[in-house]
Amino acid sequence: MSEEINGKKIFSLLEVTKSIQKTIADRYKSSYWIKAEMNKLNYYRHSGHCYPELVEKVNGKVVAQLRCNLWKDDYIKINNTFQRILKEPLKDGIKILFLATINFHPEYGLSLRIIDIDPSFTLGDLEKEKQETIKKLKDEGIYNRNKELKLPILPQRIAIISVETSKGYADFLKVFESAKISWRYHFFYFLFPSLLQGDNAVPSLIKQLRRIKKVKQHFDVVAIIRGGGGDVGLSCYNSYSLAKEIALFPIPVLSGIGHSTNETVAEMISFENAITPTKLAELLIQKFHNFSVPVQKAEEKIIDKSKRLIKEEKTKFASEVKLLRSVTQGIIIQNKNEVNQQAQALFQQSRFRIRKEKDNLTFAGEQIRKGTYQFCTSEKQSIMQFAVNIKKDIASYLKQLKLILSGTEQNLINLSPRSVLKRGYSITQLNGKSIRTIDQLKEGEILNTILYEGIVLSSVKSTKKSLDNE
Amino acid sequence: MNENPNYKEAFEELQEIVSEIEQGEISVDELSQKVKRASRLINICKSKLTTTEEDVNKILRELDTVTDDNDEE
Repeated sequence: MSEEINGKKIFSLLEVTKSIQKTIADRYKSSYWIKAEMNKLNYYRHSGHCYPELVEKVNGKVVAQLRCNLWKDDYIKINNTFQRILKEPLKDGIKILFLATINFHPEYGLSLRIIDIDPSFTLGDLEKEKQETIKKLKDEGIYNRNKELKLPILPQRIAIISVETSKGYADFLKVFESAKISWRYHFFYFLFPSLLQGDNAVPSLIKQLRRIKKVKQHFDVVAIIRGGGGDVGLSCYNSYSLAKEIALFPIPVLSGIGHSTNETVAEMISFENAITPTKLAELLIQKFHNFSVPVQKAEEKIIDKSKRLIKEEKTKFASEVKLLRSVTQGIIIQNKNEVNQQAQALFQQSRFRIRKEKDNLTFAGEQIRKGTYQFCTSEKQSIMQFAVNIKKDIASYLKQLKLILSGTEQNLINLSPRSVLKRGYSITQLNGKSIRTIDQLKEGEILNTILYEGIVLSSVKSTKKSLDNE
Repeated sequence: MNENPNYKEAFEELQEIVSEIEQGEISVDELSQKVKRASRLINICKSKLTTTEEDVNKILRELDTVTDDNDEE
């Protein structure tokens, strides 16, 4: 088929490529299990075919690369298997073990045609990545960081990371709505829209987390909500960068990603994994209940206890009043009785005393009467006696007086001047007056001397003083 | 007495009053005062459950002003 030109053997391009095709087809007759990293899947929605970019890296450097075809039918079959077993679709950046034939096409060149992919190999690889993420977080000491935060008593302000159209988001809000109707619980929420599955979810979620961080003072908690999207494409939640972002997030992150596969790292390290959006909302409402119920109970208790306390005090008071009344009544009755007794005693005593006094008086009266009579009688007698005596005495007294009088009369007779003159005495008078001394006498004066019988007239010749008592 | 307690403080004070009343540590003289306070705290707690004061516009404004340095972290 080749032609000779100027002594040169010349092949057409097609002849060469066909030759290569033949050689390769002869050389690689069967299919082979090959392992490689699928950098890009390169799925074409229109045709349904994929043109994966397969590489092998050593220390991050590509050392081998080959074009690859995954035809529509094979893709659908393999992708279904993957979703069933791995809960992940075929996607970029996974390691795969695939069965392929080596083909050379004259027009398109060398390529591998993927016939089958072993999901268990990729599964192991994904699991390895997940374990690595966990180990890294633990090594850095941040695995429990978000869990160690404190959820406010009332997680009321919620930064929601979800998609407006997601069924999970709708479920979540539905629970809130019913809580508002049933209990008037009020939540504040703000949606931070993000992709929630697949590889692009990682940067999208991180971006929204960072936005929330900027306004974190407005929120109590972050809720990552996803639902209704099936169980595929969740390996993004095992991503180290996302997990780290959540672990170090300054406020609690709650997850409600809604799937039935193994818990992802993001869920493990989040403050609490509620599993589904509905359960997450219920969890928040439960916190409200935890707050509200004790408040309600406190209210009831206060009312009840206060009523009881007042009632008790009333009862106490009433019984005190009753006691007081009965005690005072008792005292009054007792005093009344005592007064009565005293009165009675006084009455009796008085009566007794009066009677006794009366008797005494009667007796005394009688005594007085008797005494008086006796006294009068005796006085009468003594008066009579006295009269008799007086009569006697007066007679003897008069007799005695008569005697004395007669004696006195004799005396008087004896003393009369005549008797004296008779006895020889005389009375000398001057000018009719008796003289006792010579003091007034002057010579020549005429003296009258009275004698018992007769009077002598004489004149004074001389006077001579007599000695005393001679 | 804190006139504007947050819900945690309000709740704790409320619990305190309840336990005081429960244990009979409150005399009838204090009762009306305590019950008045408790009912205020209950109202505060209840209103915390049923209202929030967050302003969406404010958050949006803050998000706008700080978005630029998002990536610096």
